[in-house]
Amino acid sequence: MSRPHSFPTSSAVSRRRFIGIGGALAAGGLLAACGGEEPVTGGGGDAAPASTLGTTSGASGSIRILDDNTNPVFLNGVVEAFQNDTGITVEYEQANFNDLHDRLATLFSAQDSSYDVVMTWAAWSAEFGQAGWLQALGSDAVPTDLLPAALDAVSWNGTVYGLPKFASAQTMFYNKELFRQAGLDPEAPPATWDEFVAAAKALTTGDRYGFTCDMGNTDGAYQNFVRTLLLNGGQMYGDDNTVTFNDERGVEALTKLRDLLTVDKVMNPSSLQITNASDLGTLFGAGQTGIVFNWPSQWAAATKEGAVVGRENTGNAIIPGISVTTASIDGSEGFAINQFSQNKPAALAWLQYVTQRPVQTRIVEEEGWFPVTTTLLDDAAITETLPVVSTYKEQSDFEIRRYGSPWYSDVTQVLSTNISRAMLEQATPQEALDEAAARATDIVERYTG
Amino acid sequence: MSIPTTAPTAPEGSRESRADRRRRGTDSRTRGDRRFTLALVAPAVLVVAALFAYPIGYAVWLSTHQWNDKISPRHPYIGVRNYTTLFESGEFWDAMGRTAFFSVITVIGGVALALGLAILLNQDFKGRTLARVLLLVPWAVPPVVNGIMWRLIFDGDNGIANTILRNLGIIDENVQWLADPDTAMNVLIFAEMWKLLPFLTLLLMASLQNIPRNLYRAAGVDGANAWKRFLHITLPGVKGALMFALIVQSMWSIKVFDTIYVLTGGSGGPAGGTTTINFLGYLTTFSNLDRGYGAAIAVVIMVLVILTTLFWILLLGRPAGGPSRWRRKPGATADVTPSLKEPGRDELAQPAGVAGESQ
Repeated sequence: MSRPHSFPTSSAVSRRRFIGIGGALAAGGLLAACGGEEPVTGGGGDAAPASTLGTTSGASGSIRILDDNTNPVFLNGVVEAFQNDTGITVEYEQANFNDLHDRLATLFSAQDSSYDVVMTWAAWSAEFGQAGWLQALGSDAVPTDLLPAALDAVSWNGTVYGLPKFASAQTMFYNKELFRQAGLDPEAPPATWDEFVAAAKALTTGDRYGFTCDMGNTDGAYQNFVRTLLLNGGQMYGDDNTVTFNDERGVEALTKLRDLLTVDKVMNPSSLQITNASDLGTLFGAGQTGIVFNWPSQWAAATKEGAVVGRENTGNAIIPGISVTTASIDGSEGFAINQFSQNKPAALAWLQYVTQRPVQTRIVEEEGWFPVTTTLLDDAAITETLPVVSTYKEQSDFEIRRYGSPWYSDVTQVLSTNISRAMLEQATPQEALDEAAARATDIVERYTG
Repeated sequence: MSIPTTAPTAPEGSRESRADRRRRGTDSRTRGDRRFTLALVAPAVLVVAALFAYPIGYAVWLSTHQWNDKISPRHPYIGVRNYTTLFESGEFWDAMGRTAFFSVITVIGGVALALGLAILLNQDFKGRTLARVLLLVPWAVPPVVNGIMWRLIFDGDNGIANTILRNLGIIDENVQWLADPDTAMNVLIFAEMWKLLPFLTLLLMASLQNIPRNLYRAAGVDGANAWKRFLHITLPGVKGALMFALIVQSMWSIKVFDTIYVLTGGSGGPAGGTTTINFLGYLTTFSNLDRGYGAAIAVVIMVLVILTTLFWILLLGRPAGGPSRWRRKPGATADVTPSLKEPGRDELAQPAGVAGESQ
């Protein structure tokens, strides 16, 4: 009888041999692991930066830059101007922000020197800086008038790993026309959480919700919780990085956030599946929601040609607090130098060029982000160009945090999963935060222990 | 006169028999053929070994180290601690549960649906060519575009899925498909099956076309109904392709990534509801940079894929002696067809009237 679909006998022998060879290789690998020395890579952990970079003397040649796609101005003239001014050739590349972390991690772990300059922000500066993958800068390389929040976004543990390209924090945007339609005073935005909830209720009609946020992915859920936590006077961590977000203030903050969706029913349910701020900005710009807490680029999205809301109907104010006046989360971004770069002086020249007035003015005017220096923030012309700058200055008088750290992504995942559970009423806020805190404590101990 | 019942045996010490000489010659030729075969495949085997064995060996090696660049530049050997931590982790078993659910639906459901479509498209009907061309459309769509497309379709505010369901009066309020772990998993399954259906259908359709039509005619003459024709002609006829489809679909299901990434904004949410084992490996390795632990997850995935493949091979690739319905007649000339020879009168006379029926 034939044996269809079965391997010939000789194949069976080959399979055994193959498995044997595979086993031998695996065993070889294990033996090598047992017998080999401890591998060492990078300069991570608590290792202090070996040396700092402070001068651009002799900067020449060429550099490659890997940025996110937030700032079109670089492609629209800034790179060209830098090349003309310095004689340094630039190869500038943009990538989606959400994909950039993994790409950079892969490049760095391979000690790749393809890119001299990379985009960074609070979490990555801490994470990649701690791993020894970013070049530390000396004090002489850092402008003295940088905004503290912007400088914080490129620093970790007292070491500066880059220079900011723009400053950013969330503020409140509201639709004045919808306020009028709801019988609310468009010139008197809500100043407290209760006023905010009341306004959001008045703005909620039919399919349109008074408030929308972006909690659809890990960072979104984290940001919305941390902002509410700060608004309630809470903190993510206490002394020595002790996890504190599950204390009374944290539980109350998460309860208030959940209540917007489940009790007050003023939060657009699609908030749980909106994964980025630009989608949120589009929704607000289209007049589909009354209030959002968003980044400064929201102004540009709401006032650009074709947007339903328009400049005259876009209101902007500080975010109403729960137990404090206000608070916000930071979203400043910057550039850092790859530790494995072959042309660090030229890379530093780019970092410094971006912080200077001509580039900053373009970023503010054309893209709606905040400038990185106090000098420019106080400039009347800047405020006239971008009215939300004055709100940012007001917001800056209160707490603006992001809690960038080497364990940021680990804790963010754990926390966002549990925040989603609470929002979906799969767990109480207390249960969700306790679960997240227990795991976050283990994670932080792994890093600091 | 007595008739010898066995072949005469050569006296001890006499010349070897013709049978022995024949056997010895055959063995010698077989050995020569085998050496020649080995020489021919050796370069390919070396390349495969370099491309596959090294990364696998490296992953296994990595999984025995504590390798997180954010924690320490030193990466000590820790034996199987990453594996014990993994097996004690609730997160791992949650991800395994989701992977099992996702895989069972997409493998069994996907292949069954593909078989049904393949049978349908194998019939003669007007517009068959157009239908076959349209079938290829999902296959031509890049995976990321596929994910974005389904994300827009199932958007909670402006998605067309909600619009259609509301217009049909099925729902009163918009459903937030991607905000709930259960519905998000269902959307993921839907999107994956839509993407993979063309390949599976084409594979099975090619196999169906190898089944001689006269087998069906003969079965019809013998009074076999559609179900019996399907059971006794179609299924045995596509057995090889079916096994292949089940194996590759199982692999793809266990390793699903791109659709999850795009649908959930790279989070595997909501509330971890779409974090399958492969996505957990991604988050661990690339987001948390915990490469040792991530490698342990990768090795577990590899073992899982091997075990699943073996399961299908043992179930469907079983030689004669297995379940009779899957056995083939002697003399079958192609892997995917029960028999290419014309059915004999005896075969047509069987109740089921099919070739490829059990022996």
